[in-house]
Amino acid sequence: MTAVPALSMTGISKAFPGVRALDDVDFECLPGEVHAICGENGAGKSTLMKILGGSYKPDAGAIHLAGKAVQFTHPRQAAEAGIAIIHQELSLLPHRTVEENIFMGHELARRGILDKVAMRERAAELLRRVGAQIDPQAPVSSLSIALQQVVEIAKALLLDARILVMDEPTAALDERDSRTLLKLVDGLRGEGVSIVYISHRMPEVTAIADRITILKDGRKIWTRPRDAAPISEIVRAMVGRDLKDFYPAVPVSPADEVLLAIEGGMNAGLRDVAFNVRAGEILGVAGLEDSGKGALAQALVGDVPFTSGTVALRGQPIALRTPRQATAAGIGYLPGDRKREGLALRQSVRDNALLTLRSMTGLFTRPQRGALAHDAMDERLRAMDVRAADFGQEVGTLSGGNQQKAIIVRWLAQASDILVFVEPTRGIDIAAKAAIYETMRAFTGSGRGIVVVSSDMPELIGIADRVLVMHQGRISGVVRRGASEEDIMHLALGLADAPSAEAGA
Amino acid sequence: MTTDRMKPKPGLPVAVLLAGLSIGFFVVVALATGETAQLSGQGIAGLLQRMVALGLVAIGQTFVILVGSIDLSVAALISAVAVLASHVMQGDPAMLLPAVLLCLGLCAAVGFVNGALVAYGGINPLIATLGTGLVIQGVLAASFGALQGSVAREFQIIAYGGVLGVPYSLLLLAALSLAAAFVLDRTLFGARIYAVGGNPDGARLAGIRTERVILSAHMVASFFAGAAGLYLAARLQSGTPWIGRDGIYDLESIAVTVIGGTILAGGKGGVAGTLAGVLLFASLDAGFNMLGIDAFLKQVLRGAIVIAAVAVHAVRTKGHVA
Repeated sequence: MTAVPALSMTGISKAFPGVRALDDVDFECLPGEVHAICGENGAGKSTLMKILGGSYKPDAGAIHLAGKAVQFTHPRQAAEAGIAIIHQELSLLPHRTVEENIFMGHELARRGILDKVAMRERAAELLRRVGAQIDPQAPVSSLSIALQQVVEIAKALLLDARILVMDEPTAALDERDSRTLLKLVDGLRGEGVSIVYISHRMPEVTAIADRITILKDGRKIWTRPRDAAPISEIVRAMVGRDLKDFYPAVPVSPADEVLLAIEGGMNAGLRDVAFNVRAGEILGVAGLEDSGKGALAQALVGDVPFTSGTVALRGQPIALRTPRQATAAGIGYLPGDRKREGLALRQSVRDNALLTLRSMTGLFTRPQRGALAHDAMDERLRAMDVRAADFGQEVGTLSGGNQQKAIIVRWLAQASDILVFVEPTRGIDIAAKAAIYETMRAFTGSGRGIVVVSSDMPELIGIADRVLVMHQGRISGVVRRGASEEDIMHLALGLADAPSAEAGA
Repeated sequence: MTTDRMKPKPGLPVAVLLAGLSIGFFVVVALATGETAQLSGQGIAGLLQRMVALGLVAIGQTFVILVGSIDLSVAALISAVAVLASHVMQGDPAMLLPAVLLCLGLCAAVGFVNGALVAYGGINPLIATLGTGLVIQGVLAASFGALQGSVAREFQIIAYGGVLGVPYSLLLLAALSLAAAFVLDRTLFGARIYAVGGNPDGARLAGIRTERVILSAHMVASFFAGAAGLYLAARLQSGTPWIGRDGIYDLESIAVTVIGGTILAGGKGGVAGTLAGVLLFASLDAGFNMLGIDAFLKQVLRGAIVIAAVAVHAVRTKGHVA
């Protein structure tokens, strides 16, 4: 390995009006190295990568690629210099084929006329190189998120990228797909590609990274080789506290009263699902991507309802055929895709928090009175510690953690008995995660229940009292607090039979 | 969860399906009403000739819709081109070429302004092109008294001449359709149109200069509208400021494009579907005439068919409603 870093950024500073996003940050990546960047949201990771990608110009500092100084003013220049950035939000064309996507913006052509044969061959070759079984002529919309990610990587390889930046590549992936992706990253490292890896998932970072750099508030805290950076150290550097404080303490009294009971729940994605949620309990739901864990959440909130089976809340049978019925029954939904399903981004924090109250109240109720009053809602938002300069500001301008809290306030105001969380902390930094876990515990502490569907296994193990594991639309098993990731994985892969005594418990 | 997407159902391409339906309707009505003359070569040519004006506009509209924009100014531009061509020619064949060049220049200018407003000005395309359309219409109405004239006899060959029984206008439509399909399917420009319409941010990050692509698409739309205007001037001998508006070419070109499976959000669709949509409108018109359905009821039926067609697309693709 040569001593010249493939990428070296020195003294990078960047200020936006009112914020010092980056302050004298150094970063380098050797050929064939995976260098992870960790930091809370707002620590400066994405600003640093946008500077590298040519979207922003730094106020100060220099970028060298293999020892040569470069300056980018347009993303195209960075791409031509061999830098590929795989963004968190995928930039694919859903209606076009895989090969058309791989060549987007870089089509092979002679005098403006496409050379489709050459593109097809090259696409197949790239897909082989990333070890993917994908038909180059399949439309991208028919691929899973994981495979779409692989197409993004093939796109990067097309440009012969020497430096690959991956921004939260596994955020939308389940455990199995994440492992496949990490294997692919490992293979690219072997080919001498420099990989900058941004992730919130600590086990992943320590598994794949050669070195780790921590950013906090726009400054670099340290860069260390993986062996000198245990997870606890990383977390402490990022937030200034220990991991053991991360998940809230579990209440000692065992939950007993059954709050929600599902029997024989079926629909297109679910097979004979039966389980209970007890008062004061956080029930986790784990599973691989198409296991039915998402379908279960959608059924509970009436979005894609059960077609047969019974649901009872506090012993009373209830119907959950529409989201409105679920809301009226006291089941609240915190969707995984907050921007699409959870929030009206252009409306105020307050309006977003008031959404459910307003939709459930009578048509002729006077606004601004009682629970609908701005003051009352502001009180609740403050109690939840939603941080906004003004609750009248657009909710889209808030951080992910604060947006999530605003949605929680919405359901607290509706006095829901059960909250269904889907991927509650996806794309949220560690400090906000801890606050959300606290809130979840406080919610169940008052005798209510939570169902949390998550792809993040350490999260489920840390927060849930019991974890249902799903496989092919069925509940393949239930594990209790203290189970290991391996136990859950075993069930999620369908390798073990359900412990029958617990399945219906 | 949004990870589970519907796989597109295998089935006949929209264009083939629509064209088959249209032809079937036409044949059945012709047989049922005993107007078998409509099924002769001449009758078919007549049917296809109904497609020319709307077909030309709609091909251009397909380009802008694919790129995620829209053009409401085409009707006004058609009128402007028809009026300008007849005014400049004044029946004099020597002025034929200058008139056509001038009209194309006008199209280039209008397309450029539309594209610049949308791509560089960031103005919503509905508003931007509605605005330019209103401006053009206003200028035309105000100055029509000074813009009288008629096209040269020689120019009318486009509308009335033909070779081996095939009207030139049909050949023109066929040639331009093939060219447009080739551009969309086989050229860099086409690939970029789909990229920009499908995912503007992704296209920009892939290094595509999205503004230029949008602007170019608007210029294409204006040129096709201009071609339609010239054809109408040839057919009617002289242009009036209302031929575009009376033909509802703005809304109908959008309707047939969408019926043909191009989605309004952009990034999916093509010329073949659009032409099939035009054929549907043409055979409906012809069929309704044979059946003697009155003009207002015709309008009602057309509207219902547009809605039904889009509803069928929505069901077929589950989700991406146009």
